[in-house]
Amino acid sequence: MSVPYLREAAAQDDLGKLVRFVRLHLGDGNEAVGKEEIDRSWAEAIKTLLRDAPVDREFIARVLETNESTLALLFFHLHFCFIRGSGRWIHDGSR
Amino acid sequence: MMEADKRTSSAADPREVGTQLRPGLWHAINERYPGSMIRKESFVPQARLRKPLGASRLTLISSCGVQLKTDQPLDVCHPFGDFRFQRVPSGGKHDDLIIHQLKYPRDDADLDINVIFPIERLQELSEEGRLGGLTPNFFSFIGYNMDPEKFERTVAEGIANAVVEEERAECALLAPA
Repeated sequence: MSVPYLREAAAQDDLGKLVRFVRLHLGDGNEAVGKEEIDRSWAEAIKTLLRDAPVDREFIARVLETNESTLALLFFHLHFCFIRGSGRWIHDGSR
Repeated sequence: MMEADKRTSSAADPREVGTQLRPGLWHAINERYPGSMIRKESFVPQARLRKPLGASRLTLISSCGVQLKTDQPLDVCHPFGDFRFQRVPSGGKHDDLIIHQLKYPRDDADLDINVIFPIERLQELSEEGRLGGLTPNFFSFIGYNMDPEKFERTVAEGIANAVVEEERAECALLAPA
C-alpha cells in the first residue's frame, strides 16, 4: 500500500485500511501473521513488566515531550524490539 | 487506486499469461501496494557506454541495505521505508559490512556479502584490469519503500547526483536485492 493510498485512507479515517497496512508491514506481507505479531509484542511488554524491575520514569517523561512523528516511529521500533527479544523473530533474515 | 493499478489487478493481466514461477504475484503486489509499481511510461533508456569497461570507472548501486558497521544503521522499522542512502567505500571487505534490511532472506549474504553486494568481486575485476577502476564509494539503500515519488526526490536524485558530481562514475552496476 503506497503512501498516497494511505494518506487517502487517513483522510477518510478508514481504520480498516490503515490497520491492514500495519499488519502487512509487521507480518512481512502476511496480514494474519502481522496480527499475531502485534499481539505478541504486547504480551512481551506485559511479561517484561511482570519482572517488576526498576523503571526510569524520568526517561519516559523526557521521551514523551518529543514530537509526535518521533514518537510514532518509536512505537514501531518498540514493537520490533519486543518481538526480537521474544526469541521468535520472523524478520531474522532466514528462509 | 489509479487506473493502471485497476488494469494490472484484473484476472486477464497479460503478465500472468504463460509460465509463472509464482502465479498471482502481480495481483498480490498491486492489491497490497497499489500505486507503487513502476509503469512502462516510467521507462528511461540506459545510456550507452562511451568507453570500454576496461577503461571506465564503475560504481555499484544496490537496494540491499548493506552499509559499514560503523555507520548509523538504516531504519528497518519505519513503515514507509528509510529515504536515506549510505556510501560504502569501494575498498571495503565482507567483515567491514553489515546488512540492515528485513524484507529478504539473507542467510547466504551473511556468509558472503558478495552474493548481494559484489564489492570484493569488483575489486578483483578492477585489479585485473577488466574494469578501468572503481569510484571511491559505492551506494546502498533499503529497497523497501512505500512512497515512490519521495524515493525519486530523495534517494534516487541524491545517489544520481553523487555518482555524477562527486564520484565521477562512467558506468554503474545496479544490483537489486
